[in-house]
Amino acid sequence: MSPDGYNLAHGIGGAKDLPISPELAIAGATAALVISFTVLALAWRTPRYDATTSGRPAPAWLASIVDSTWWRVLWRAAGFALFLYVGAAAVFGKDLVINPFFGVFYVWWWVGLVPLSLFLGPVWKAISPVRTINLAFAKVSGSDPERGIFAYPERLGHWPAAIGLFAFVWLELVYPYSTELGPVRLWVAGYVAVMLVGGALFGNVFYERADPFEVYSTLVSRMSPWGRRDGVLLIRSPLANLDATPVHPGLFGVVAVLFGSTAFDSFKDSTRWVKFVQGSTTSSYLLNNIALVAFCVGVGLIFAAGTMLTGLGDDLRRRELPDLFAHSVVPIVVGYVVAHYLSYLVEVGQLTLIQLSDPFSDGSNYLGTANLDVNYWLSYHPTLLANVKVLAVIAGHVLGVIAAHDRAIRILPPRHQLTGQLPLLVAMIAFTVGGLYLLFAG
Amino acid sequence: MRRSLAAVAATLATLSFATACGDEEKPPADSTDAKVIELTFADGTVTPNGDRVEVAVGQDIELDVTADEPGEIHVHSTPEQELEYAAGESTVTIKGIDQPGVVEVESHELDQVIVQLEVR
Repeated sequence: MSPDGYNLAHGIGGAKDLPISPELAIAGATAALVISFTVLALAWRTPRYDATTSGRPAPAWLASIVDSTWWRVLWRAAGFALFLYVGAAAVFGKDLVINPFFGVFYVWWWVGLVPLSLFLGPVWKAISPVRTINLAFAKVSGSDPERGIFAYPERLGHWPAAIGLFAFVWLELVYPYSTELGPVRLWVAGYVAVMLVGGALFGNVFYERADPFEVYSTLVSRMSPWGRRDGVLLIRSPLANLDATPVHPGLFGVVAVLFGSTAFDSFKDSTRWVKFVQGSTTSSYLLNNIALVAFCVGVGLIFAAGTMLTGLGDDLRRRELPDLFAHSVVPIVVGYVVAHYLSYLVEVGQLTLIQLSDPFSDGSNYLGTANLDVNYWLSYHPTLLANVKVLAVIAGHVLGVIAAHDRAIRILPPRHQLTGQLPLLVAMIAFTVGGLYLLFAG
Repeated sequence: MRRSLAAVAATLATLSFATACGDEEKPPADSTDAKVIELTFADGTVTPNGDRVEVAVGQDIELDVTADEPGEIHVHSTPEQELEYAAGESTVTIKGIDQPGVVEVESHELDQVIVQLEVR
């Protein structure tokens, strides 16, 4: 229990969204089914997206701004200033849930990064303080930040990022003291330490592959209109952009952790689970640990099976398939994250902005935001909120199915293209309908 | 054929949404009687154990408490409410909650969810 009397096992944020109505859940599930098979039956038969040709160069004025040194320095400086400011709150602030460190950590960083990356591109890469520190070290020592002492082992791929993401969701959703300052500060210190050592050993490629936040942010930015090819800023359709996602080992592990953990977050508040955990003699901590792992591994297995149950040509190995199709789950993840976190981001996000003015909980108003009020308009319109949530889930599902379809007709041999897509389609329907069920039963 | 199939699919999807959007927000039911929930604390356990209880927006919730020890109840509404109860039989009231949503009512001592209020 924290000094101010808040229950710490509860996490931050007060009331949660109402469950969606059964009618809406069924409507959403029906739409997902109908749309899936419609796409399969009607969509194009020759691959449409090609990373080597898709998109057109951004207008010259825009590219000259985005590629300029001052632009890069500006965002590095902004990111680092926020890092130092929030770091000061973490180190010198009080152990109260009104410490803005918690809101920035759990809401702005974890949730806010998704819409920012969706609209603006790979935001974390641009502001990441660990990249900035690595860059500063390189400048001082006269070395190249891109290069480390060793080459990054290819077969590690994105697996370290998947583990890092799991470490985050474990802290947020399972660890009982997730709103005590000490443990969260320790987690962040561990993150920074691992990132700096990794950057020194392997150079910037480490951040691209292994920084959980950069991998998440950059993956979501693949659904933005902003891309790059040979250093040239491109504008392209989000689906073409998504298709250009580089495939590294462990990519499917990343999406499995992201989807599985968000689903677990819905599930853990359902009456059935709460009653089961509280009525059981086994510790709730152990049960929640098992459930979180089961959700992430379960999503990974369903997805792996969905992608691997197909006939293949000679040019592909079966175990490469989950990573080759993993990008197609990104829209489903984003749709579900919108559904699950929209009101939380909007409302606790505002609260965090207010709290940021008083980082040491002494009544200060450094930023002039301390006297603002949180606008709870969204929560007061639960029907609208529920409709937005289901539409986001369905939109994500449609984009995911299209992305998977295009990849299937590119890499699968013609005679297996239709049947080969079916298991994956079933897996995606399972994710979407399961997600809707949790929004309904949560 | 393809085009007509797509039109059918789109119509179906739109229709199913349109029907789902039918139940609009109900007006707040300030005037209704308080919701009564009986709570029993005994030997480190509490009943009910995490049940969902539907309440109307603005409706007060009366907790009829029977307890072997005094304690505190936290209501995770926005803003939060904290209620203390004494040993023996007593009644505490959660002030009507204006913001729709799911609100957890927790026992401070047991660190357990007693009920989840579905405020709508």
